[in-house]
Amino acid sequence: MPIYLWAVTFRDRLIGTLQVLRPVLEEPGVLIVGSEVPNLLEPDAASTLVVSQDVDIGVPVERVAAVKARLRAITGLAPSAEEPSVYVPASPDLIEVNFLGLDSRIREPGETYVFEDAELPLMVFGPLGLLRPGRIVNVAGLRVPLPRTADLMVEKLLTDRTGEKGARDLLVVAGLLAGASPEDIDEFLRVARGLSAESRHAVSSSLTVLSLMEGRHGMPDPTSARAQVRRLLSALGGHHE
Amino acid sequence: MNEAVLERMRARARAVRTRAAVQRWHYRQRHLAAGVWFRLRRVLADASAAYAISEHDARQLIAEAYQPEACGREVSPEKLMLFVDEPRLAKLRQRRPIPVGLGPEFFAARAIALIAFDDGERR
Repeated sequence: MPIYLWAVTFRDRLIGTLQVLRPVLEEPGVLIVGSEVPNLLEPDAASTLVVSQDVDIGVPVERVAAVKARLRAITGLAPSAEEPSVYVPASPDLIEVNFLGLDSRIREPGETYVFEDAELPLMVFGPLGLLRPGRIVNVAGLRVPLPRTADLMVEKLLTDRTGEKGARDLLVVAGLLAGASPEDIDEFLRVARGLSAESRHAVSSSLTVLSLMEGRHGMPDPTSARAQVRRLLSALGGHHE
Repeated sequence: MNEAVLERMRARARAVRTRAAVQRWHYRQRHLAAGVWFRLRRVLADASAAYAISEHDARQLIAEAYQPEACGREVSPEKLMLFVDEPRLAKLRQRRPIPVGLGPEFFAARAIALIAFDDGERR
């Protein structure tokens, strides 16, 4: 299938899934947190980046009870028997939904834990605690809450990822950088400087990896972000931090 | 809730915490031998372009007070890596552009001239 047609189809499925999730997205603090964010930030949520066919929904751990109540009202998605934090679609017109916990009290990868709940257990990855509500984009009449761009960039750089998924996540940062405002960059530096020394080093290390990456089809070009990455590294500290 | 499901999630969380411990190990290594890969990447991130040059020319540049990057001498075999301004680079007879990165051409080169980004703070 040509990429353009694939993208239209995927966009329709992504937006269709978000429409189904509308009651959940209306819960305060709930955010789209995964690699779909750059797709949703494209003009008219064009969704041209090649990503996995699911959407990550961040749920503040203090809002889990309210989200569960809203989930009971939706149709077309049901929890996976193997992984109840993943809701699988009943029809091919929708995509999987992966629920994750957001805990603003933590931010380090080593603080990752399981929010144990009989109905909606959640993985609570430490760096997701950095994500604060940011822009709300209007997609096909739906209000879609996204995290602050700076927070998402730091989270993607801080989270230890390996293999192809890790590479793609870094390229997502390249895409976010391309659309970042000067205020986003200032905020990125403030957030990164507020991390522990170990985490600041992890962010810098990921930036150096991004700087030397080659491009991949259907993903933002990392080479065009090199000068910006170099400025971020310089602002974050000495060469041997 | 199926206890097996929860245990799988707990195991995943433990795996993430283990990787975090490895990340902290990398941090502690940042000034030690194993940290050289970060230091190499950090230097290369400052470079907009890289050229393989002759060791003879590299030593001549050092004699002219161009500073070799310490991390080049922290890999084996050692490399002479130094930032050079473009007018000086243009005077070198042997210079071959190579990709900026830790790829085969970088590792094959014994001496490498780097060009800093325009806004670079290097010489």
